Amino acid sequence: MVKHHPDTNTLLEFAASALPAAQSVVVSTHLQFCSECRQRLSQLESLGATMFEDAEPVDINPSLFDNVLARLDEVQEDRAANDANASPMSWTVKQIRKGNLDELQWKKVTRSLRIADLGDIDGAAEFSLYHIAEGGRIPQHNHSGTEMTLVLQGGFSDETGSYHAGDFITREAGDIHAPTALPGGDCICLAVLESPLRFTHWHHRWLSPLLQLRAG
Amino acid sequence: MVDKQGEGARGQPATSAWSVPTGRRTDEWSQCVVRIAEHRDRAAFAKFFSHFAPLIKAFALSGSSLSAAHADELVQEVMLKVWQKAAGFNPEKAAASTWVYTIARNCRTDMFRRLQKFDTQLEAEDIGFELEGDEPTMALHASRGAVRVRELMSDLPQDQAQILAKVYMEGKSHSETAAELGLPLGTVKSRVRLAIQKLQVFMDAGWEE
Ligand SMILES: [Zn+2]
Repeated sequence: MVKHHPDTNTLLEFAASALPAAQSVVVSTHLQFCSECRQRLSQLESLGATMFEDAEPVDINPSLFDNVLARLDEVQEDRAANDANASPMSWTVKQIRKGNLDELQWKKVTRSLRIADLGDIDGAAEFSLYHIAEGGRIPQHNHSGTEMTLVLQGGFSDETGSYHAGDFITREAGDIHAPTALPGGDCICLAVLESPLRFTHWHHRWLSPLLQLRAG
Repeated sequence: MVDKQGEGARGQPATSAWSVPTGRRTDEWSQCVVRIAEHRDRAAFAKFFSHFAPLIKAFALSGSSLSAAHADELVQEVMLKVWQKAAGFNPEKAAASTWVYTIARNCRTDMFRRLQKFDTQLEAEDIGFELEGDEPTMALHASRGAVRVRELMSDLPQDQAQILAKVYMEGKSHSETAAELGLPLGTVKSRVRLAIQKLQVFMDAGWEE
């Protein structure tokens, strides 16, 4: 039974596709565990749909419909091509979602800790999997930014409580903790540490070139 | 040409269906998608296009997030996906408007990512979550709640409604919204929570933080 969930703000940003990629992966993996949050997501999406439906319609050039009609039959081929060209991060995310964690590249850090660095992804300073051997401990650490953690397997405890598979934990910048894997099996967690440059994340970085484009 | 007639009041095509608490949805947009899926019905597709394409374009242009040319490109991509994915639409589990909204949202995210030329290549489908409507009470909440949610949303204070619009319609994060409105991040977050608390009573009892 999942006890710890993303808060309303996080889930609403996720529902609106406004959450950076790495955080979205953590939330969507939680959703695989949690029917309660799937239901909340369904409600938040219907809220977005209500706003979408009530938007002031913008006129469409009739030739656009003809363009779409002419392209209806090419759709399936496009899709096949996309699947063949999946990027490394897309592959990595699929393995996490499927639970194929042995496929990833693990590095031994201490006797009881292995880490798989999942690579660069926008919105994250660090995006990794932690494998803590039963009873093992991660050295005490703090964060420069918000950290989201999802327990994939087993469980851990720290100063704030015990967490089990499916639990979603948010730690704010400055929080200090030293998680210890619970007895009964190894603990695997997916964790993303927010980029310190949060204000300049993807949407802003994308907007500036467009503004230049328009001015020109 | 697209048939522009006979759609009734915009945004309210499914009035009778919204009040049906359970069972198969009979609103005309859901029927359109089913006809597209089962018969590859181009007339149904044209009807669906004439209603939703102008809304998709409005969504694309919200907050000047895309240029007019990119907005047209987005309309085409979304409508192609509607044709392609129609067979996966289940009228018992979701409203057609919610279904097309999630497609538009995902296509826009993919377009943002393409235009931005990210180092990380990811599709919206990789990082999103496709609901399958497997929760027994989901269809009930979705249909019964929708008409009340619309009423309640029009009653929200302007400062809350404005923030919800920025997040949903413009796809902006809370921190981007805060920066644009010159508000502290905490204020944006608490206004979102206040708005959702007002709406939640009519969506679900299980929204405790
Ligand atoms: Zn949850």
